[in-house]
Amino acid sequence: MKNAIKAMVFILLFLVMLRSLTYMLRTNGPIKDIFVGFYAEPEDTIDVVMIGSSPVYPCYAAPQLWGEHGIAAYPLSSNVQRPKAAVYLVKEALKTQSPSLFIFELRQFTAADSYMMTYYMEFSRGVTDNLKYSVNRIDMIRALVPEEDRYSYYFDIFKYHSNWRSLILSDQRTAFIYERLHPLKGLLIHEEVVPGEKKDYSDITEELAIPPEQEEVLCELMTYLKENELQALFIVSPMVLTKELTMQFNYMERIITENGGTFLDLNDYYEEIGLDFARDFYDGGSHTNASGSEKCTAFLGAYLEENYHFTDKRGDEAYAEWDVAYAYWLECQAAALETIEEKVANGNYDVGEAE
Amino acid sequence: MSITSFAFLCSFAAVLTLYYLIPKRVQWMFLLFVSILYFLTAGEPWLLFYPAAAITIVYAGALYIDGVKEQKKKKAALSLVVVFCLLMLIILKYCNFGIYTYNALAMRGFWGSGLLSTVQLTIPLGISFYTLALLGYLFDVYYEIAKPQRNFFKFALFGFYFPVIVSGPILRYRNMEEQLYAPHKMDFKQVTYGLQRMVWGFFKKLVIAERLALVVASVYGDYRTYSGFYIPVAVICFAFQLYADFSGGMDIVLGLSEALGIRVAENFRTPYFSRSIQEFWRRWHITLGEWLKDYLFYPLLRTDTFGRLQEICKKRFGKKTGKKLATFVPMFFLWFAVGMWHGGAWKFIVGSGLLHWCYIVGGELLTPLWKRIKVFFHLGADSLFLKAWQQLRTFLLVCAGFLFFRAESFSEGCRMYAAMFFTWNPHILWDGSLLTLGLDAIEAALAVVALIVLLIVSVLQQKEGIRDRIARRNIVIRWVIWYALLFGVILFGYYGPEYSAAEFIYQGF
Repeated sequence: MKNAIKAMVFILLFLVMLRSLTYMLRTNGPIKDIFVGFYAEPEDTIDVVMIGSSPVYPCYAAPQLWGEHGIAAYPLSSNVQRPKAAVYLVKEALKTQSPSLFIFELRQFTAADSYMMTYYMEFSRGVTDNLKYSVNRIDMIRALVPEEDRYSYYFDIFKYHSNWRSLILSDQRTAFIYERLHPLKGLLIHEEVVPGEKKDYSDITEELAIPPEQEEVLCELMTYLKENELQALFIVSPMVLTKELTMQFNYMERIITENGGTFLDLNDYYEEIGLDFARDFYDGGSHTNASGSEKCTAFLGAYLEENYHFTDKRGDEAYAEWDVAYAYWLECQAAALETIEEKVANGNYDVGEAE
Repeated sequence: MSITSFAFLCSFAAVLTLYYLIPKRVQWMFLLFVSILYFLTAGEPWLLFYPAAAITIVYAGALYIDGVKEQKKKKAALSLVVVFCLLMLIILKYCNFGIYTYNALAMRGFWGSGLLSTVQLTIPLGISFYTLALLGYLFDVYYEIAKPQRNFFKFALFGFYFPVIVSGPILRYRNMEEQLYAPHKMDFKQVTYGLQRMVWGFFKKLVIAERLALVVASVYGDYRTYSGFYIPVAVICFAFQLYADFSGGMDIVLGLSEALGIRVAENFRTPYFSRSIQEFWRRWHITLGEWLKDYLFYPLLRTDTFGRLQEICKKRFGKKTGKKLATFVPMFFLWFAVGMWHGGAWKFIVGSGLLHWCYIVGGELLTPLWKRIKVFFHLGADSLFLKAWQQLRTFLLVCAGFLFFRAESFSEGCRMYAAMFFTWNPHILWDGSLLTLGLDAIEAALAVVALIVLLIVSVLQQKEGIRDRIARRNIVIRWVIWYALLFGVILFGYYGPEYSAAEFIYQGF
């Protein structure tokens, strides 16, 4: 009996250490920082959780939303985030937070899941390998990863052990419980400029079906939100549109509104946002830079204030960190805008980087 | 399913748990079931036919040999079964060797240019290991050293026993009989010792062998670029890679068998500390050396032909020298067999066989000279310098053979020797060139540290088992050591989706 207890303690300690070691070894970078930052947020303090792919975290500046509207928003966003992940991210968020609103970015719903699995499977790790160990994480892996590959997702140490040299970085070591506040509340500021070509397809009202598996995911997600009485807003972030994409967004708009959801396509409001395709994107029209982000956030903030009821929490001591984040954002944003201004004035675009 | 794979480890955890939960009298049946299942999942399922056929034939042959009284019939049955098993081994493993050799000779114009095409045969896992184990049993029954096993399924367990079927060690039935079929109570010490040994095996395999493999592959893959001093560096790395790989695999195998309460024979005893080639082979792949000695070399010494040869040599060269010289002939067959066992290729026959025969013959013939040198330099048998020199000499001689072992072929091995001797670039040893071979400075330093750990453990093990030493420490020190080893493997091991599956070098034999 004594030996059995000793063995169990040994194994338990081993698992605890292994968990922390894995958290530390997971590849460092902006996406890890976003998720680690989310887990570090005090319980029940987030008003809005933004879920979706890469357009989210550089576009919607949570510190700005806080500073201008008193709304605490946080992106649970990662690159090429497959729509299937959304429902699990909602569940993950609900473990520690009770947001009044979930925002879902829809761009990735237009791509076939098989396409993303074939060409961008590594990005699936952006979500699976940035969650803390839990049953929800296991469920997410079962949904996103083919059976034969799952073991290295369940036990991601198999993948990340070779990152042992990164333990020299203090950011990695402090991730041992996977909680470390994000200084910009999940925002990634881009100061590169690569102009895009503005396309106007506002006259197109036709629809084009999205891939059937994504339609199924969208419907299941809406059902889940309805069943759990969760409020949601489905958005499309600004981008250089194509005719097909516009028709697909029209298709989703119909499904969402028919199911009682709210749909907002920021591409319908270029004028109101004040979006300038010559300066507001960092990659030719897919993702906004600091300049575009500020404009989109201002528009979204106004939209949220107009259509939802959030308590302005500015001044609340529990949110002191948000004031710090806002101040830091102001500082970073000013520097970024100055750089962008200079680049636009000199025509010194980051074309090479975007390519 | 490789024994370093995650799936195998999970399966083993389940097997170990079930093994101690089920009634003890059915444990051996459970092991048989698991062993067959393992064989089925480790390769093509239909390949099970080969070991199953060999087991059945040997089982029946042994019973027949035990049952008949006439020596002639016994001998005939023995010959029949041995020929059957060896034919299966030769056809599957050495068929292409024969074709290659024939073609090589034919191309040199000895008898025309009609070349034979090679055949693509799927070889069952561990054929060399289980064939020798089964034949050893048959010989033991024939020589009445062992009683035949009358229960076919029990005998099948001996043939299929999953920890050893893929890469040995080569089992002796008489050593395994009691353990395999006896009930095994859960013994905490036994299980933990087994698991500890497995972790140590993983350390050797994944941290040392796989790391050194990068350097070895770089040089062997392009020895024309990496000529001169790169080659001995790669060969020395390969010597440690091979040792860490093979002995690490044995540690895993022996450890998991120990956890099941079944101790199998050791296959290594710090071979690189050997002071002579003979000693090296008593410490390296011990079970193979013993098998060949017992079932090939000694029977050869007992043949009439050898007796006649000895008489001739004694008459011609005197009693002592004649006896020694005559022994070189069966010894030649022994070393040829050692080389052949490693694979149907001249690189093995020369590098792991005949070259060692040459060393031993040379050593024997030069014994008087060595004695005079020792006297001249006043070197006693206990001289530290002498010991160190002998160990270094033996290691380098072994490495000279390992050059062929890892080469693509015997002729490539020869070309590598040429590339080694005809390029003079000692500067690569200190100008950082070695760090272009796949390991950067940190990785290389890690490899060195791991080798030092291996060396320390090997030295400590000379006197007493390392696990016993650790077990005597207090719990904090004990746990720190085992956690360090565990996390050492987890952090610094080469495994996972980034790496190709780490197979054992000896798995292919």
